[in-house]
Amino acid sequence: MIRAYYRPKDLTEALEILSRTDGEYRPLGGGVTLSQNQEQTVSVVDLQSLGLNSLTQEGQFLQIGATTTLQSLAVMENLQPGLRSAIQSETNFNLRHQATVAGALISASGRSTFGTALLALDAVLHWLPDSQDQMLGEWFALHQPPMNSRLITRIQIPLNASLAFDTIGRTPADLPIICAAVAKWPSGRTRITLGGFGSAPILALDAPEPGGAEAAVRDALSRAGDQWASAEYRQDAGARVILRLMGQDLTV
Amino acid sequence: MMIYFTLNGALVEWEAAPSETLLSVLRSHGMFGVKSGGCAKGECGACTVLLDKKPVNSCTLLAAQVTGHQVETIEAMGEHPEQGWKKTSGLHPIQQALVESGAIQCGYCTPAFALAARALIEKNPDPTEHEVRTAISGILCRCTGYLKPVQAILRAAAVMRGETVPPIMGTPETETPRWPVSMPPAGDQPASAASWPETTSQTQVMPKIWTSQDAREKPRTHIGRPEVKVDAVKLVQGKPAFSADIEKRGMLVAKVLHSPVAHAWIKSIDLSESRALPGVAAVLCYKDVPRVIYSTAGQSDPIPGPLDAFSLDRKVRFVGDRVAFVAAETVEIAEQALHLIKVEYEELPAILDSRDSMRPGAERIHDEPEFVNFADSNPAKNVAAEIRIDIGDVEKGFAEADRIYEEEYAVPKVQQAHIEPHVVVTYWDEDDRLVIRTSTQVPFHARRILAPVLDLPVKRIRVIKPRIGGGFGGKQEILIEDVAAHLTIATGRPVIYETTREEEFTASRSRHPMRIRMKTGVKLDGTITANAMYALSDTGAYGCHALTVTGNTGHKAMALYVGDGPYRLSPNIRFYADVVYTNTPPAGAFRGYGVPQGFWPLERQIEHICRDLGLDSIDFRLKNALRSGELHPFSTAWSEGREPRPEIVHTVGLEECVRQAKAAIGWDQKYPNADWHAVPGKPHLRRGIGVATVMQGTAIPYLDMGGASLKMNDDGSFNLLVGATDLGTGSDTVLAQMAAEVLGVPVNDILVYSSDTDFTPFDKGAYASSTTYISGAAVVRAAEMAAERIKARAAKLINKQNKGPEVNEEDISLGNKLASTRDGRSVSLKEIALNALHHDDQEQIMGIGSYYSPVSPPPFAAQFAEVTVDIETGKVVVDRLVMAVDSGIIVNPITASGQIEGGMTQALGYAVCEEMVYDEKGRARETDLDDYHIFRADEMPALETIFVQTYEPSHPFGVKAVAEIPMDGVAPAVGNAILDACGAEVLDNPATPERIWRALKKVTS
Repeated sequence: MIRAYYRPKDLTEALEILSRTDGEYRPLGGGVTLSQNQEQTVSVVDLQSLGLNSLTQEGQFLQIGATTTLQSLAVMENLQPGLRSAIQSETNFNLRHQATVAGALISASGRSTFGTALLALDAVLHWLPDSQDQMLGEWFALHQPPMNSRLITRIQIPLNASLAFDTIGRTPADLPIICAAVAKWPSGRTRITLGGFGSAPILALDAPEPGGAEAAVRDALSRAGDQWASAEYRQDAGARVILRLMGQDLTV
Repeated sequence: MMIYFTLNGALVEWEAAPSETLLSVLRSHGMFGVKSGGCAKGECGACTVLLDKKPVNSCTLLAAQVTGHQVETIEAMGEHPEQGWKKTSGLHPIQQALVESGAIQCGYCTPAFALAARALIEKNPDPTEHEVRTAISGILCRCTGYLKPVQAILRAAAVMRGETVPPIMGTPETETPRWPVSMPPAGDQPASAASWPETTSQTQVMPKIWTSQDAREKPRTHIGRPEVKVDAVKLVQGKPAFSADIEKRGMLVAKVLHSPVAHAWIKSIDLSESRALPGVAAVLCYKDVPRVIYSTAGQSDPIPGPLDAFSLDRKVRFVGDRVAFVAAETVEIAEQALHLIKVEYEELPAILDSRDSMRPGAERIHDEPEFVNFADSNPAKNVAAEIRIDIGDVEKGFAEADRIYEEEYAVPKVQQAHIEPHVVVTYWDEDDRLVIRTSTQVPFHARRILAPVLDLPVKRIRVIKPRIGGGFGGKQEILIEDVAAHLTIATGRPVIYETTREEEFTASRSRHPMRIRMKTGVKLDGTITANAMYALSDTGAYGCHALTVTGNTGHKAMALYVGDGPYRLSPNIRFYADVVYTNTPPAGAFRGYGVPQGFWPLERQIEHICRDLGLDSIDFRLKNALRSGELHPFSTAWSEGREPRPEIVHTVGLEECVRQAKAAIGWDQKYPNADWHAVPGKPHLRRGIGVATVMQGTAIPYLDMGGASLKMNDDGSFNLLVGATDLGTGSDTVLAQMAAEVLGVPVNDILVYSSDTDFTPFDKGAYASSTTYISGAAVVRAAEMAAERIKARAAKLINKQNKGPEVNEEDISLGNKLASTRDGRSVSLKEIALNALHHDDQEQIMGIGSYYSPVSPPPFAAQFAEVTVDIETGKVVVDRLVMAVDSGIIVNPITASGQIEGGMTQALGYAVCEEMVYDEKGRARETDLDDYHIFRADEMPALETIFVQTYEPSHPFGVKAVAEIPMDGVAPAVGNAILDACGAEVLDNPATPERIWRALKKVTS
């Protein structure tokens, strides 16, 4: 149940409302998840007027405004094709026009292709009011601490890293049974992430070189069995997919 | 709080609660073109609106979020072109194209498609097919298979660019050829769904139609023409045509408390807090409503199955079973009231696997003393139905075989997933008669079955069926009407009950899952000597449709292959089945009605046999298949629990179906071609091609009856009243075409009304592929009766003119709105109508007709599929589906091909992704349309439909059924194509990546 709706005009006002203690206040992005809230009584703070929907290149990084929609990001020129593919797999065309980047990450489950891709890119969340940076991996690992009084303003991803992504579902547009992303930096650093199960995407490998990828993936998926697929299947299919992704030319 | 936004160009200022969604606010202000699919995650897109020119889901937006923005709905997109003296700009070109192209079936998602298309074309006037498919990929359609909506949008874009588009009927080059003709060129195949070629449909909306020499008959004016659907114009405008699109003063909202446990007694239930909540009008549990045993199956009297259900009971039998009903002023209050109901359950052991149901000592699911058996049902053994059919001497047939093949297969529980959920509105009218406005396929059965449940005589119940947003068998069930009706009786107020998408999965009906054992005896030359099937069918907690669905598994599938030579004269066929209760949501009717379950094992078994014996699988099928003039082998053995009577099958176009579809897909170029099976540069991919041949039925003989009445109006138009239930199939349109054909008027002079138990004649409803055949024959009879009077009166009027020799009614023919003599004299139908109603010897020209059939002529089809399999991960992509269908004469090629395309798409889900799974507590894995994935527009394979016309002599226009047969062949054809691609023998469908991967492991080991 949503008790009250606020649409602050600037960040100061937003943070003031979010800091109130007479109940729970949540930042509202596109509304895809929060509009359906029935369990808890919350007030929502709509971020749409805060100008947090910009895409800015800063050096080797892309700063993605928190309220940038998935569709706006997907159609950005020169976006890594792997990331574009992961966004398109995340949800359907209508919802991509609504869902915000931050909202998608905050509500991501293990079946989030977008979350899997951004985890591979070692995305960084920027929080206010404490102006703290938090690695997406840490956010997924901690798994959703209380949101009161805080909000994400932007997400940073590297522009010098390449990304390859693939997903296996029952149909081309199905939720993933297993999905995998490989990010490579010019230095040789390689990050492999996996999704399609569990409460959040997981990191299988972060190493200065790609060696041992298959073993790392098999290890990471050793307990990935659920109602949708066995761990045995995910291990084998995940390893195959990773080997293919590693073999791709990922020149940035 | 107040919200301010621009709606369809005008600034509005509305009150809205902070938690209210845009969908709710728009509908409460009369924007009924914005539909609800009942989903909680924005999966279906039926509620699409344009927000600042972009398509979004209004169900996942808070109303407050749109303050300051522009919102557009279908209401502002176009208007009916004729509104009396007022000139309008007519329909928008996109709407016009959707209407013309046959893109509208149930019409529930049509406004969403129109808006999404508008957003696309305004931004990109010349979109590719891929761009169109992406643009509508947020909108799920369960009817069309997306092909015709895509065609329509491409057509609209061309019109909006100022281009000339070809006529829908086609050009002379695409007119229907006749057999025998030279074979069409082999089809070009796309490498995968991703590389789908630009559609040919921009220029060819009409399907290919091949007509047998025997089917040639006199030219028809309306039969065989792609007439526009009679309901298309209202549906494309999003008019309030559906059950929920109604406002009643003081209407309450109903909600149901569902059981969280699979099997239990309700030890105690406390409704006091719930009843005390302000805004709650009624809370009912089993103590409050009459205890009347009934079956929820919407079937003719007597119900051919056990009576085993109550509106509310002290026992719950599955997670999702009913515990209590609430009626409240708002949805929020009703949901709050549900939370305040205190229930204590005494849990019982639950049976979740059908293999456990009949085990000695198994927990008994139905121990109510009121249980009424039907035939061999036995609740003590958890058996809802038992079938034992032996045709010929099966054991002798096996003894004569050179080889015996035995295998076990499994088919899953799947959901109808119509985009409009179940919806009902009930109220007392001014005569204290209970009006039930409901989204049902069976209004007359609903009235009959509900009467005792509500303790009302039939005559005090009126059931109105507005437009239906898809049914597919899910609405051949008296599933929700009693909930609202009990609450209206309790409160005296109107009540609306609209199920959520989650309830559709947890508390609705589904296709019966089955475990099937096949045993087939074959000679080395490919002659089947005996064929046996045993089906263990899981009806879930209640036995609705238990006997009849499972009976059809054998009756239709096992009838196709009778054997050859002496076996053809005396086939040896066995079909045994046990239909058992489990503590899972009940199964019921789903398009195909048991037959898809039968063709999965049968056609996989046939493929296996042919590969093992090194025989051509197509030749094998045709060698053993039923032929024209032969006895339907099951017709003397079983008839849905009623007396069987022999039936000769007069028309079998199967061989030509195979020939056409085989050529269209390029079978001869692909199947034996090793190069084709490889994908260049991708050694982990393999292509495969597969086939299945199938048959269905057309109505239930000696049982299904439809009625029609028709009256003539002053202007020579006609009101056609039918009890038949158009659930989006276009049946109202084909019935109008038949009436128009007989009466010689345009189709738009036939005003079809369906259906209302007070005003329309009885019809058993929309199921068993019967409407075109049964109700159509009734319409023809009614129209002929009216035509007789028209001709008699026309003869009198012409004779009065004294312009030639005297004529009588036999000399009169009807056409072009005229009654004419052979020598060219005529009077208009309008003159005849005015004469009859006002001038001489006054009478109401009208006709009535009803029809039931002594036969159920089967349609036949050849289904082909192409797939690409990832042999390392088991991932499969279905690239192409081609189906050639013998459904007799096709009344409307556009609506009929829409049926085939939509049916193939549903069947594609059955093949690769749709299944309902339960955990160890009986809780559903699938509760939304994300987890229960149905195909989207942007992931579809290429679809192709070919009609092979035969002339069925038992129908006035030679028709057979279309609607269900496309469900039958896709899954086995895909399974056979996977086998062809990589050798993986998947015995349980759907063929998921892991199942294929496991089968591949068996091949490599």
